[in-house]
Amino acid sequence: MQNEPTCELNSKEEAADIYCSTCKTPIRAFDKLFGNHKDHEVTELTNAAEIAKEEVHKNMCKLEEQIGQMENVASHLEEIFITVEENFGRQEQNFEMRCNDVMQTLAQRYEEKLQDLGEEKKLKLEALYGQLVSCGKDLDTCKDLMETIQELCMENKKVDFIKAAVALVDRLEKFLKKDLDLELSTLPDFEDRAIDFSDMEQLMDSINTVPDDSIECYQLYYKQVSDDTPSEEQAELMTKVKETYHTVTHLVPNTQYEFWVSALNASGISPASERAVYVTAPSPPIIKSQESQSCENAALICWESGNINPVESYTVELSKVTNGENGDVITESIVGIPNCEALIQLQPRHSYLISVRAVNMGGSSERSEPVSIHTTGTYFYLNEDSAHPLLSVLEDGFTIACSEIENPECDLPSRDNSFTRCIAILGSMIPFQGKHYWEVEVEEDMEYRVGVAYENTHRQGYLGANNSSWCLRHIVTPSRHKYEFLHSGTTPDIRITVPPKRIGILLDYDNWKLSFFNLDIAQHLYTFNSHFQHYVHPCFALERPGFMRIHNGIAAPTSIALS
Amino acid sequence: MSAIPQQLHLRTDYNLTLAALGAETPAPAKIMALKQISSNKCFNGFQKVFEHDSVELKCKMKFGIYLPPKAESGKCAVLYWLSGLTCTEQNFITKAGFHQAAAEHGLIIVAPDTSPRGCNIEGEDESWDFGTGAGFYVDATEEPWKTNYRTYSYIKDELPKLINANFPTDPERMSIFGHSMGGHGALILALKNPGKYKSVSAFAPICNPIQCPWGKKAFGGYLGSDLSKWEAYDATHLVKSYPDSHLDILIDQGKDDQFLSAGQLLPDNFIAACTEQKIPVVFRLQQGYDHSYFFIATFVNDHIRHHAKYLNA
Repeated sequence: MQNEPTCELNSKEEAADIYCSTCKTPIRAFDKLFGNHKDHEVTELTNAAEIAKEEVHKNMCKLEEQIGQMENVASHLEEIFITVEENFGRQEQNFEMRCNDVMQTLAQRYEEKLQDLGEEKKLKLEALYGQLVSCGKDLDTCKDLMETIQELCMENKKVDFIKAAVALVDRLEKFLKKDLDLELSTLPDFEDRAIDFSDMEQLMDSINTVPDDSIECYQLYYKQVSDDTPSEEQAELMTKVKETYHTVTHLVPNTQYEFWVSALNASGISPASERAVYVTAPSPPIIKSQESQSCENAALICWESGNINPVESYTVELSKVTNGENGDVITESIVGIPNCEALIQLQPRHSYLISVRAVNMGGSSERSEPVSIHTTGTYFYLNEDSAHPLLSVLEDGFTIACSEIENPECDLPSRDNSFTRCIAILGSMIPFQGKHYWEVEVEEDMEYRVGVAYENTHRQGYLGANNSSWCLRHIVTPSRHKYEFLHSGTTPDIRITVPPKRIGILLDYDNWKLSFFNLDIAQHLYTFNSHFQHYVHPCFALERPGFMRIHNGIAAPTSIALS
Repeated sequence: MSAIPQQLHLRTDYNLTLAALGAETPAPAKIMALKQISSNKCFNGFQKVFEHDSVELKCKMKFGIYLPPKAESGKCAVLYWLSGLTCTEQNFITKAGFHQAAAEHGLIIVAPDTSPRGCNIEGEDESWDFGTGAGFYVDATEEPWKTNYRTYSYIKDELPKLINANFPTDPERMSIFGHSMGGHGALILALKNPGKYKSVSAFAPICNPIQCPWGKKAFGGYLGSDLSKWEAYDATHLVKSYPDSHLDILIDQGKDDQFLSAGQLLPDNFIAACTEQKIPVVFRLQQGYDHSYFFIATFVNDHIRHHAKYLNA
């Protein structure tokens, strides 16, 4: 077997095996060491591929957004198009109708007036004719008298003359006493007849307005509708509105409302319109950030609905935070979540802001207050509900303490879920596949148990004494430190010469292992090979007064991750 | 051709000496370092056996060497296995079932023989626990053993040099483990050479030879009656003066091991000493297991993983 010192450089392939971030191109590692890229930044090909993928994905998301917006605009335009046609149609009809009314009324008036004029003329002419006839008669009489007078004057016989003259003077006196109507009975001028256009004016004006121009205002009514209370009991609210649109505020979220309108004018109020039913969007949910959990690859978020009545579904929104920025840019949305919890896949060693919206028929709520998730490692919280009465959790939430123990099985008040004999506490379940890591810190003379257990592990039992729990147990005997690795009450016989003060615990669901390490010297202590049937909870117990500090949400040290 | 000078028999590199002497044509028999005896492909690597002329032991010595697939393209760390009483270079490579783990972790495994062979020393074949097959990994000081029975120096110096010169190894990354007498060998080599081995482990080691029958017989024969010479090869004793260098020791011991109950192994003494000195040890007493290769085969993967953690870090 030959051993050439340069054998590692004689690679047969020319393929690129590393990525130069400075030149943004894949290169051979050889070139980084000896070539043009000596001083450049390099990164693993998989890394570079990941980054490129992310870029593409980001841009794809933006593109999707744009597509959505443009489709929206297009459909709005269509709607407006149709509405324009409708409005035109209505206006046209309206004009036609009004104009026809006006024309008809005008024609009517014309006829009437014409008729009146005709009547007047007839009267005038008749009067004049009468007067003329009468005048003619008088004229004839006058002429007749005149002739008589003339004849008289020619009469020589004095006796006849006097007789005739007396008769004539008598006739003349009678005639002259008569009132001669010399006044003109009729003036040639006609009455001033203006056509009464007053109502015409109204009609003319109405050409330019929509039929309901005469409305003074509208009355908008609304009322809550709910399945439980009969509708009569709900208060009816009303607002007066001038326009044909109105925004109603201060409504109760996630509630059904009925709306109806009446029009009001001088003559009174119209009948009510048909009732429209709308549902208000829900209130935003409230994330239970204390109970939210994460590991390197996933997070489990729980929340309260934020609404008294049920909603249809929930939407979870994620923002990946880079360098403390981009907290507002939503990188991912998960819709249609039926319950108040979601298991979300994430990338390791990133920070995220996660928020939730509630969704119902009326739309989606405002975004909830976000919860911050860091995928630095597996994170769980201690379930104080499960703690033995003598075990307390300190303020930091991750240190457990036990005070003097007289009788751990004494009749202290305990909750249903708490341990009664073993002074133990469970952490929250770790519901994610893969590997999970956490640490505990103990004093050298502490007696404790630390490990994992199923949710239903016997609360009356001791950790490790049954088949639903696995733990490392440390006790101090007069001669030495004793370590047990307990499951189903049995332990292998293991001696450990250096008592660990910091213990690393590695849970590997994929390979069904639970391993313990002395972190100070990176020493592997023991591994359970156990096919976990369910997800487990970390568990901790103290057998002597003292403290145990728990660290989680951290990455396993490399030496342990490789084990 | 000039006569080959005496210098060649000293503990020096053949080639260097020859170059210094200006020899032109090396005699094949002495200079060809290794002769391959066998080669079998195994888990995509190769289990080979070589023979060479040992300077320390002054005889032909065989060793097994497993080259993992990784060795074809790069340098690998080396894990030395020391076998127990009566074993040769064959036992471990045929019975222990370590190849898959070695291939997976990319480790070269070297398994030398347990004593010099064919030296024709009187009495060497009289017992199975002294002489042939029972080198005890010491440098003998007593006749007739002192010329050939230098297995301590062989394992410490000659063999690593030979391996590093002929195989793709990383000379800085080396660990050691063994069984029974080989466990004793591994422990003392690690304790006497702080920093030389990245990790050490053992199966049923003889932990305190000066207190057990085997040890007393072997040390008496190889080292004479001076107890101080014995202590220099006793792990329990060596621990007491081990400087604080990081060492992580894994020991597996079968609970049903007849030699344990016979008081040959004495692990409790070793553990007590390590506890006192704060040397990290994980000692596992394995229920139902005996002293055989079946026991070794069961836990060898754990040991390889233990060493890989330090060798591949």
